[in-house]
Amino acid sequence: MIFNSLDFGIFLPIVFILYWFVFQKHLKAQNALIALASYLFYGWWDWRFLSLIIFSSVIDYVIGLRLQKTDLKHQRKLLLWTSVFVNLGFLGFFKYFNFFIDNFVEAFSFFGYQIPNTSLNIILPVGISFYTFQTLSYTIDVYRKQLKPTKDFIAFTAFVSFFPQLVAGPIERATNLLPQFYKKREFDYANAVLGMRQILWGLFKKVVIADNCARLANEIFNNSADYGGTTLILGALMFTFQIYGDFSGYSDIAIGTSRLFGFKLMKNFAFPYFSRDIAEFWRRWHISLSTWFRDYLYIPLGGSRGGTVMKVRNTFIIFVVSGFWHGANWTFIVWGALNAIYFLPLLLRNKNRVHTGEIAENRLFPSFIELKGMLVTFSLTVLAWVFFRAENISHAVQYLYDLFLGIGSYKNIFITYNLLKDFNLTLLLILILFVCVEWFGRKQEFALEKMNRISGRPFRWLAYFSIILIIGIFMPTEETPFIYFQF
Amino acid sequence: MGLFYCSGIFILEHYLPSFLRPNISFKMGAYGHLHSRIKEVNDFKNVDILFLGSSHTYRGFDTRIFSKNGYHTFNLGSSSQTPLQTNILLNRYLNQLAPKLIVYEVYPGTFMSDGVESSLDLLSNDKNDLDSFKMAFKTKNIKVLNTFIYASIRDMLNLNTNYTEQNNKGVDTYIPGGYVEKEISYYTPKFIDKSEIVLRDNQLDNFEENIQKINNKNIDLMLVYAPISKSKYKSFNNKNHFDSLMHEHGKYYNFNEILSLNDSLHFYDSHHLNQKGVKKFNKKLIEILQNESQL
Repeated sequence: MIFNSLDFGIFLPIVFILYWFVFQKHLKAQNALIALASYLFYGWWDWRFLSLIIFSSVIDYVIGLRLQKTDLKHQRKLLLWTSVFVNLGFLGFFKYFNFFIDNFVEAFSFFGYQIPNTSLNIILPVGISFYTFQTLSYTIDVYRKQLKPTKDFIAFTAFVSFFPQLVAGPIERATNLLPQFYKKREFDYANAVLGMRQILWGLFKKVVIADNCARLANEIFNNSADYGGTTLILGALMFTFQIYGDFSGYSDIAIGTSRLFGFKLMKNFAFPYFSRDIAEFWRRWHISLSTWFRDYLYIPLGGSRGGTVMKVRNTFIIFVVSGFWHGANWTFIVWGALNAIYFLPLLLRNKNRVHTGEIAENRLFPSFIELKGMLVTFSLTVLAWVFFRAENISHAVQYLYDLFLGIGSYKNIFITYNLLKDFNLTLLLILILFVCVEWFGRKQEFALEKMNRISGRPFRWLAYFSIILIIGIFMPTEETPFIYFQF
Repeated sequence: MGLFYCSGIFILEHYLPSFLRPNISFKMGAYGHLHSRIKEVNDFKNVDILFLGSSHTYRGFDTRIFSKNGYHTFNLGSSSQTPLQTNILLNRYLNQLAPKLIVYEVYPGTFMSDGVESSLDLLSNDKNDLDSFKMAFKTKNIKVLNTFIYASIRDMLNLNTNYTEQNNKGVDTYIPGGYVEKEISYYTPKFIDKSEIVLRDNQLDNFEENIQKINNKNIDLMLVYAPISKSKYKSFNNKNHFDSLMHEHGKYYNFNEILSLNDSLHFYDSHHLNQKGVKKFNKKLIEILQNESQL
């Protein structure tokens, strides 16, 4: 089931009513309802893969309990590695098996050995990268004794499969989300309103911004050989907004939906395109994944301790692994490595934590230096997204080559204008409006968070109504799945 | 909120240019003369033959030819009419028209279509009621839903009463009885890429419902696959599957197998007959009707 579908529009109110009006007095019943609803939500796509989630849940639940019973180091390690092996084993098989086989075969053929390719027709289970990391965080935290293992199996299954963030995050830490399943939740009207507002804004980002940009980005990327400089820039820009609208929109809907049920999820995006350098960008983009890698990979590797070589090595590892997490394709690895290269000068000059405060703090507009930093960071990000979106490395390289080669051509400017006109010029106006709303809301959890504080009720309702109307008028007529479902 | 949304839709469609409201498409008197057809249908009762289907119907069954041969007919075809819209038209007009025979034109393309184009045509040119709402809901398409809202408000405010559609529009002329004659032109055959016929389950369900509805009224039924150019016909890989499926649902006549037409002479595009083709096709159909004593 996807958030921008009619099915979810029916599913959510039913679960909400059952949760608050039928099972409100029984915490366990509420948790059981969440687990069942989550399985239904996931099974709507393909019920066969529910077995993977259930299996992972059982394994980590049992391992958690076993970890509590032993203090023997080697036993604890064995238990930890069992969990890591099982969870990453599933992930590795479903997501990376064919990638490794194909590359293995290619590598051998490069050296003149022909071996048969045994690629399998594997369906990638939706959200496997997300829930695998979530359950792993539980076992690792229990292993590190940062979290007490749970004896409540229902709460644990609800935590692993919690439907708002099951298939595309935010990747929650057990230390944050699991304890929320033990506490009685009270319905809080103000929090529910906030949740609805965040859902509305997320939906706008997804169906108006992302899906409309996707149409143009797909046209340009799929036919990139036919286009030149400015059109290719437009394609890259459209994908830049598409991926932000798509993924941060999903996160907003997930966080907003969780609020409706009395849960608080971690923030996943903090207006990343307003970042003043690439280090700040990575503190603002997909925060739940970046911090996951920081806590469970970067720090255990030594983090920024040690010499320069160690720092560079760890930085590259974390960026490349993060890229590879996104998909079994060299394009994602290069995308990760490129970001590491962007990051390195800041790290080596110890300037990677210069911009930790608000952008344009106490000011309406950024200073010239901030604006320059934002533009440079944004441009670097746009170029990196070309690798993320391209079919393969050679496609990305050719795309960038054609982009730079044709940048000064007037003919291309007319082609770009006509293309934009064919797709609907209004998209540009909506994008400008979107960037303005995000800019003025940049100090909040999400752009519309404090709308009630700054304006009266009529204005607020008019704003809601306008957003709904814009969604109704500009959403593409076919349901489009979220990009991050494929990860 | 709903009221706000509906008012917003009405205001946007009424006052803004179409590029500022891409998801509303109300076109009264659009391509296909459905508005004239619907206006005229109220004057028809107890017809011998009712034609149903897509543009192959209103451009393929010339009511004048049937009239000359003694048949009182009405052509209720509409642009890209899929079984979903046929269902609504049957609900609205079957009792009144009370045909002895229904010629239901079946074309793989309409079974493969989401029905959006035809829904918009019907919403803009016919009255709107609960069936229209069901249709909008079934298509699961925001453009159809918005257009339904706008069209319903127009109905409520009686804004459609003064509109009269012209009989002649460009190369098309509306003929009383529902047929649309196109100025003669010819098709230059081209190679068409092979494609698979993939029928939509929901359209098949609607089709079966339509057949059931017709059978329940004891009305004779002919399923007709109207002629299309050979180049188009050959481009479908799994023609036999479609034929056998249609045979399961009633007396089925595939005129691409019955009648031999020339792509350059009898068509104006890859799947529409020109007037010369229509004459040949209708003559053959009348022969069949007479030989098999369908009426």
